[in-house]
Formats: sequence, structure tokens, C-alpha cells
Amino acid sequence: MMLTRRSLVSAFAFAGLTSTVPAAYAQAQKAPVTLVIANSQWLDALRGKNLWAALVKYQQVAPHVTLKQEAIPSADFNDKITTALGAGQGPDIAIMQEGLFYSIADAGFLVEVEKAVEGVKLNGTNDKGIVKGKRFGIAWQRAVYALIYNNKLLEAAGAAVPTDIDGLIAAAKAVQSKSGAIGFSSRHQMADFSGWFMDFQNWAFGYGVNWVDGAGKLTLNTPEAVAAVAAFKKVYDAGVIPVGDDMPTQRMRFKQRQVGFSIDNSGGTLNIASGGPLSSTDLRATPLPFKNPGAHQQIFIGISRHSKNQAEAAAFLTWLAGPDGQQALREASGPDALATDLPVTESFRATNPWADVFAELAVNSRSTLIPGYEIKTAPIMRLVMEALEKVIVAGANPKTALDEAQKQALARF
Amino acid sequence: MSEQATTGLRRFGARALPHAFILPPIAYLCLFMFWPLARQMWMSLTDAKLATPNEGQFVGLANYARLVETPAFYASLKVTLVYATSAVVLGVTLGVISAFAINRPFRGRAVVRAVLLFGWAVPNVAAALIWLWMFNERSGVLNQILTGVGLSRLRWLTSIDWAMPSILMVTIWQVAPFVMLVVLAALQSVPDEVREAARVDGADPLNVFRAVTWPHILPAVQLAGLLVAVWSIRRFDIIYLLTGGGPLGSTSTLVVRIRQTAFEAHELGMASAYGAVGLVLALLIAAIHQLVDRRRARWMADR
Repeated sequence: MMLTRRSLVSAFAFAGLTSTVPAAYAQAQKAPVTLVIANSQWLDALRGKNLWAALVKYQQVAPHVTLKQEAIPSADFNDKITTALGAGQGPDIAIMQEGLFYSIADAGFLVEVEKAVEGVKLNGTNDKGIVKGKRFGIAWQRAVYALIYNNKLLEAAGAAVPTDIDGLIAAAKAVQSKSGAIGFSSRHQMADFSGWFMDFQNWAFGYGVNWVDGAGKLTLNTPEAVAAVAAFKKVYDAGVIPVGDDMPTQRMRFKQRQVGFSIDNSGGTLNIASGGPLSSTDLRATPLPFKNPGAHQQIFIGISRHSKNQAEAAAFLTWLAGPDGQQALREASGPDALATDLPVTESFRATNPWADVFAELAVNSRSTLIPGYEIKTAPIMRLVMEALEKVIVAGANPKTALDEAQKQALARF
Repeated sequence: MSEQATTGLRRFGARALPHAFILPPIAYLCLFMFWPLARQMWMSLTDAKLATPNEGQFVGLANYARLVETPAFYASLKVTLVYATSAVVLGVTLGVISAFAINRPFRGRAVVRAVLLFGWAVPNVAAALIWLWMFNERSGVLNQILTGVGLSRLRWLTSIDWAMPSILMVTIWQVAPFVMLVVLAALQSVPDEVREAARVDGADPLNVFRAVTWPHILPAVQLAGLLVAVWSIRRFDIIYLLTGGGPLGSTSTLVVRIRQTAFEAHELGMASAYGAVGLVLALLIAAIHQLVDRRRARWMADR
């Protein structure tokens, strides 16, 4: 028999069909499953839509699976997920900040996912996904903090890019007096506590604070912590912060070209750069104006112990951590670091000149959780933030305020 | 069936019918009020955590002992009492004055009434967000008015001196229309002939008010005061959205403290103990109301 080109093509096509048809047939035969995925990001104006579009690509690979959003505002996310899981309910999969991840993993509400990501070359962003020696989550995104600024306002004011606090105050004042815009936006009130304490970790880490000593004992009143609090007060007193504005309002103003500088994470920066009058190319990022590296917000994805579809959820995680899932997520995640080392796309870098700085800062950034006190970080940081509030609002001495916080911390934790 | 049996059955039916009617509300109260309340009281005696609410160990009165040793508890208690008292005094006074103002017919009364009722009709969260914008230091309408008349801007929600008055302003904007409605209904039920008789007897307007109108509307005012007090002790959304309990705990009521204890520190047992104190406060106010009401009834009977 002569082997013609047509017969060869037919043979390969047949071979291809025989290998793929049973797999597709098997997929089609599987019982339909709905996986509910909870995330506060689904509510983000443009990013939420893009992230969801990335995830639903899984439905092409697994046609029997329907992904369903559970969108919860970030302010209520921790409360809602914790109470739902505590009551034996909740979503199949949750995408959450590491503080919540730690507390629900510790309470036994997440299932182990080591097998789901077997063979995947996970990067360092996944390290804290291991609790008590077991992997309960993989990194969804890591949003590192940087000092961001509106380059046009900076140029118009003739100010230099700041590298320290005094420079930041000078540049913010210059922007403010030249254009009438807000000099520097920052969370600064207890109504924003959950975001404020994470933001403040940049100041603390920047001044070399660890919150625990070498022996693991809580130390809230170190000279470094006093310096960080004093530095924040200096900026607060400079009159460059829009006192009273919450963070969504401040980000909106930044988007409207009404803010000069801000310390924000890559996720927030992507929000500012998307869908508003501020052109993404006018937005710039630079390292934080402190001596030491700052913080990052680590987001994990985990599977609920109460899920009735744990095997399907694990299969979804396998896809997500694999090349196709990571590529899909990469395009929707802007500059955030992902579970595997996948660089920001060239097209994104070209239209967002600020993205590279975030990638560089992610190398040395630190978790906002206090080592050894991961589950208790929020109540401990409330003591710190109350001390900071005493300093900025009532003019208390930073050392005295932090000494009091230390006393309370030692009595409670 | 004999006539005797039929009569007996009818009598039983007549006796059972009221019980049958009252059964659904009792079941409702047991299911949605008394059972959760009993659970909360039990939880306040345990070390239950938010993530594992059913796995708390019995710790006796340890949570209460810790509570009374915490300075923040007394601060919250004081803030709660100041807030509730101010809300009652100012809200009820303003509500009563408004009710008198719109009791008599005048041109545009329907419009004025609709405007006054606006605060009551708006949901709490929406009201808080509207006021948040109005209080904004940089672009809020209140500071624009102040600067417009040559005064300096105020830090409405971020200064210790102004946070509580600002919260009270929103609260009163919400509760005064309710008081107004209740008192207006009472005012409109005061019989005109009694007022007329008082006038014929030579009473001036002040005496007509003191001898006829006020005793007639007093039960309604008392009831409105009781409700405003209890609601103020329980109010969370407005305070939390506007200040989160700050600055420096100056607006941190017991309910705000419950939220922090339960959802930040995850200490459900301790949060339940805070809740129990709030419950005692509310019961105390209800008891005082009951006492005052009885005395008033006795006084009315003696006249």
C-alpha cells in the first residue's frame, strides 16, 4: 500500500480523534457540578470582570463544571466567610487575605491541597500556604506596596521623586500648592482599621520593626516602632493628607487626577490605572520612602472542608496552578505576583510603566502578619493603631502611647 | 353526638381558640428571640471562638470578670449612656416640637411633612453614606457652608470633640421624624371639645397645653422615648460606618465593642458578655419606663 500525503493526514487525524474523543466523552459523561468561588475582587470595577473571565476558561476544559461567583464586599469578607464556615456552610472555594486564610486553616475549615499541585513549580509566594506542616492553600496573587504618583502633577510642580519622608512631604506640598490637588493619600482613621493596619506595616517594616524579638516575644514599643509612628505623624501634621476621606474615595480622587502621591499595593494601583481619566502611562511607581523593604498583601485560594465537591474543586486548583490557568490569571492580574513565576506580559508593561517597580519590590517585601502571632495579628495591630491614633489625633508622645500598647499586649496575648 | 358533648366541645373550642391564635407569635418569639438570647447568655459563660462557636468550654463568669477589669469596657459603657441619653433627649424634644409645628393646617404642610419624614424613610446605611459625604472635610457641603460664611473647616468625624455630636446629628435626623409621627397621631386624637371646655373655663393656651394636651400625649411621648433609648443602645450601622468607633474610642459604644471582640479578636464568648451587658441596660430602661408609666396612671386616677 502506498503511503500518500492524504492517507498520512487521515491516519494522524484518526489517531488524534481516538485519543481525544474518549477523554471528551468521559468529561461529557460526568455529572454536572457547580463550584461556588467567593472573592471580594469580583466587585472591583474592571479587574473583577477580567479575573472572572480568566477563571471561566476552566469551563472549556471541564464542561461539566459551572463556576459561580460569590461576591462579598472586602469589608465584610472575613466576617461572612468565618461565620459561614463556622456554621458548616459557605462556598466551595474561597480567595482570601492571608490573615483570614491562617485563621480558618488553623480552625480546620480548609482541606489539604498538596496533591492538587503535585509537580507544579510553586514559587515563594506559596510558602505561607503551609499551616502546621500541611499545605491548605496556594497563592492567588501577591500585591506588593510601592509609592505611586501622578507624574504629570509632579512635573508641573517641579518636584523630585521622593526617597525619604522629608522629600515626600516637600513634593506633596509642592503638588498641593501648584495644582490644588491632594498631596498624599493614605488611610488614617479607625473606620478603615483592617486596611489601615496593613498599610501601616509599610511604615513599620520600613523603619525596621519586627513586632517580635529574637525569642518570639511581642515587642510593640521598640525605638524602630516609635520612629515609624513619629514619621507617620510628621506626614499627617504636614497637612497633605485628605483627613476624613476613606480609601475608596481617595483612590477615586487619584483616578480623577486629584492626588499627587499614595502608598498603595499593586492591586489598588491597577484599579487606579484602569477605567478612569488618569492615563496609565502618567502613573508611576517608586520604592517606598523608607530604608527597609515594605509589605505585601498575600491572597490565598483554598478549598472548604464543607464543600460537597472537594475532588472537583481540587481539579480546578490543579488547572489554576498549571500553565493554562496561570496564563489566564496572568493577563487579568496586572503586576501582581502569581503562584508560579510567570512574568508580566510585554503588552501590559508597555502600557503600564509602573509595573516593573512592583515586580522588583516583591522580591524582598514582607507579610503583614506578625510571625508567631498570625491569627492574632488583627487584635495586636489594633493596639498599635490605637496608639498611633492617640499620637496623631490627641498629640500623645509616640513612646508613651506604644508603651501602653505593649503593656496591654503582654496582658492579653 | 349528645347535646352535652356538643356544648362541651364548643366550650373547649372557645377556650382553645385564643391560645391557638397566640401560639404562632409565641413560637416565633421562642425561635427567633428567646432561643438565640438563651444561646448568647450561655455563650457568655464559655470561651467560644468565632470559627468554632459550638466548641466553647464552660468558663463560668471568667468573661464577666475580665470585662469589669477592662478599662475599655467602662469607656464604652459611658459612650453608650451619653449617646443614648442625648439621642432620647434631643430626638424626642425635636420630634415633639415638629409634631406641634405641623399639627395645625397651613399652606405646604404636606410638603413639610414629607421633608421631615425623609430621615426616617432612608435606610440607615444609605443615610450614613450620604452624611459621610456631607461631613467630608475637604469637599463636604457642611464645611463649604462654614467656609462660605467665613468660618474655618471642622473635622466632623475625625476630631474627638466633634465625632460624637456628628453621630448624634445623624441619629436625631433619623429618629426625630419617628417621634414626630407618633406624637402627631396622639395630638390628633386629643378631643377638641375638651380643649374647648378648658378655654371656656378661662384657661390660656399654656394651661390648655399643660392640663389637656400634654397629659393626653404623654404616654405616646414616653413610648417613643423608650423605643429611641433601646434603639440607641443597639445602634451599630450609623456609628460603625461613620467613625468605626473612633477617634480614640470617643464613639465606641458597646455594640461597636461587640463587633471588634467577635470579629477581630474572634472571642465570641467575650463578645456575648458585652452583649449581655447591653441587654441588661435595655431591660433597665424598659423597667424604668414601666415604673414611670404606672406612677403616671396612678396620678391620673387620683386627679
